[in-house]
Amino acid sequence: MAHSAEVLAEIRRIASEELQLERAVEASDELIQDLQLDSLGLTILAVGLEDRFRIKLTEEDSARVCTVEDLAALVAVRASQAQR
Amino acid sequence: MKGPSAPRPKFDTLNAALAAAAVDSSGLTFVNIREEEEILPWAEVYRRARRAASALLKLGIRQGDRVVVILPTGPSFMDAFFGTLLAGAVPVPLYPPLRLGRFDEYQSATARMVKLVGARVVVSDSRLRRLLGKAIEASRPELGCTTAEALIDDTSEAEARPHALCLIQFSSGSTVDPKPVALSQENLLAQCAILNSVINASATEREVGVSWLPLYHDMGLIGCLLSAVYYPAPLVLIPPENFLARPALWLRAISRHRGTASAAPSFGYSLCVHRIKDAELQGVDLSSWRIALNGAEPVSMNVMRKFGKRFSAWGFNSRALTPGYGLAEATLAVTYSAPERPVQALSIDPLELARQGEARDGNFEIASVGPPVPGVEVEVRGEAGEALPERRVGNIFVRGPSVMVAYFGNPRATARALQGGWLDTGDMGFVDNGELYICGRAKDLVIIRGANHQPQEFEACVESLEGVRTGCIVALGFTPAGGESEELLILAERAPRQHVVHMSPETGAVCTTLEERIRKAVLDGTGIRAHTVKILEPGTLPRTSSGKMRRREALRRFLSNELEPPQPVNVVRLAGKLVQSVLAYAKIELSREG
Repeated sequence: MAHSAEVLAEIRRIASEELQLERAVEASDELIQDLQLDSLGLTILAVGLEDRFRIKLTEEDSARVCTVEDLAALVAVRASQAQR
Repeated sequence: MKGPSAPRPKFDTLNAALAAAAVDSSGLTFVNIREEEEILPWAEVYRRARRAASALLKLGIRQGDRVVVILPTGPSFMDAFFGTLLAGAVPVPLYPPLRLGRFDEYQSATARMVKLVGARVVVSDSRLRRLLGKAIEASRPELGCTTAEALIDDTSEAEARPHALCLIQFSSGSTVDPKPVALSQENLLAQCAILNSVINASATEREVGVSWLPLYHDMGLIGCLLSAVYYPAPLVLIPPENFLARPALWLRAISRHRGTASAAPSFGYSLCVHRIKDAELQGVDLSSWRIALNGAEPVSMNVMRKFGKRFSAWGFNSRALTPGYGLAEATLAVTYSAPERPVQALSIDPLELARQGEARDGNFEIASVGPPVPGVEVEVRGEAGEALPERRVGNIFVRGPSVMVAYFGNPRATARALQGGWLDTGDMGFVDNGELYICGRAKDLVIIRGANHQPQEFEACVESLEGVRTGCIVALGFTPAGGESEELLILAERAPRQHVVHMSPETGAVCTTLEERIRKAVLDGTGIRAHTVKILEPGTLPRTSSGKMRRREALRRFLSNELEPPQPVNVVRLAGKLVQSVLAYAKIELSREG
């Protein structure tokens, strides 16, 4: 089962390698406000996590996810559901 | 200037084209993010669409009814889209919500478009349907929202008489003032015949299309999907979000399928240059790629050169790069540069272009988008409507068989855009040696990554910010010096009292804070990052006599470094002026006496 720490590490990897973000990513960072991700950045992040953890994020999730922490927790839950 | 004579379409209706394709052995291939493929032959597309048509007719859909289709790239999009056509109704493809996107704005924009076309039903899938609740509630299509799965549950197959109105497409991205472009069967078939004649006629082997472009956008829907039906040709489809996440999927699909024709806006090529790693291209061979069309947003020479250079190691031939120009109101293509010749470019002086409206020699490279496609006429006109000579910048007008019938349900906007059979494109450019060059826009529009945005979308986010002078803000699209694609520029005047604060050196930070706050507000509200935010003194932005912002003039002044605050009128300056004029009088007096 994927832990949110593992997801957080993957978010950090995507942020630095794929999105070329120069700042460090903290769990409490807001995706839009702090990381300043635009719609392209959000898509790259979402599809990247789906691919890595073999899950599907729904459009509904967008309403619940605000920070990096929220996203990591959600992906971890989805991944454990998918395993069952 | 005029293209060669229009080719005669092979069919009268899209339904006839689909029926003919169904006899061919080729079809669609859908590629997912793991590169697993699902094949759907045209025969199967047709069979499933007949079932969907039967279901729509049973649901109560009548000839000419508008059916909004909100589905991702996949087999169910085909069911809903072609099913609607076979039922004699009019499909209106709209974009599905983005994952982790901005959901509330999506709902209101969708509701607005559903209402504008007076849709009788919305077709989506079971997953998206739950999410569209608010949009459906606000727009109230008579037959509600149904799913594509339910449509093909029907076991009977049906087909009705096609309606003269064939398709309504929205110019992408626009949420403030979306205009539904109504296209007739003639418009679409003429466009398919044109594309067939310019793209496929030069082929020595059978064309194989590969596309990641969204199907709610003219270039993906008409340029790729409908053109493949008309030809008929095999077409490989990649969902756009998968391309954005893994651009290598596109080039790998072209290699695997020996793709010959594939199109993208400039930013797609740029994404490949910057985000694909060599390791992802092991064994890839791009030598089959004969036509790499570049359109839907300003074409960057810089990007094309980098793309050609980088991917030549994998067999890509730079001559495949072919810039084109088109717009939703003309169904799609207006001009197109011939394949298999190097991209034509002119080096011009950007300052002269901005100041004088004339293309004089200089050091800024601008790509030709080619001569008009067959059957299409292009005219560059001045402000008084007069035809302009070569190299003079003016408004681009277009006439031809695929120019739209009207904006659906909007006679006023139609009358503004269509004059005596000519379409005012709202784009600006000039002609040189029989080829068109695009260099700006008369219409207020910002094009970011191939999507059209009204400036009001951005301006509305900033308007209520403290420190910004009310109503004194403009959002514009511009290509930064040395840049590769159009970017967002925000020019905002500070509120007058901020001026005082700014003058004091200790609080100089106010200026940067305001800029940062503007950046945040725009990103928050629209999901788009501003490239440049410029804070101006009150009164700097040009206005009309009624006080409205003149966006185009503001851009011209910004580009030519002419954005100057009005001269403050104060006692010292006034005294200075008086002295000058007194001196001038004195000189005149002296010269008389002398």
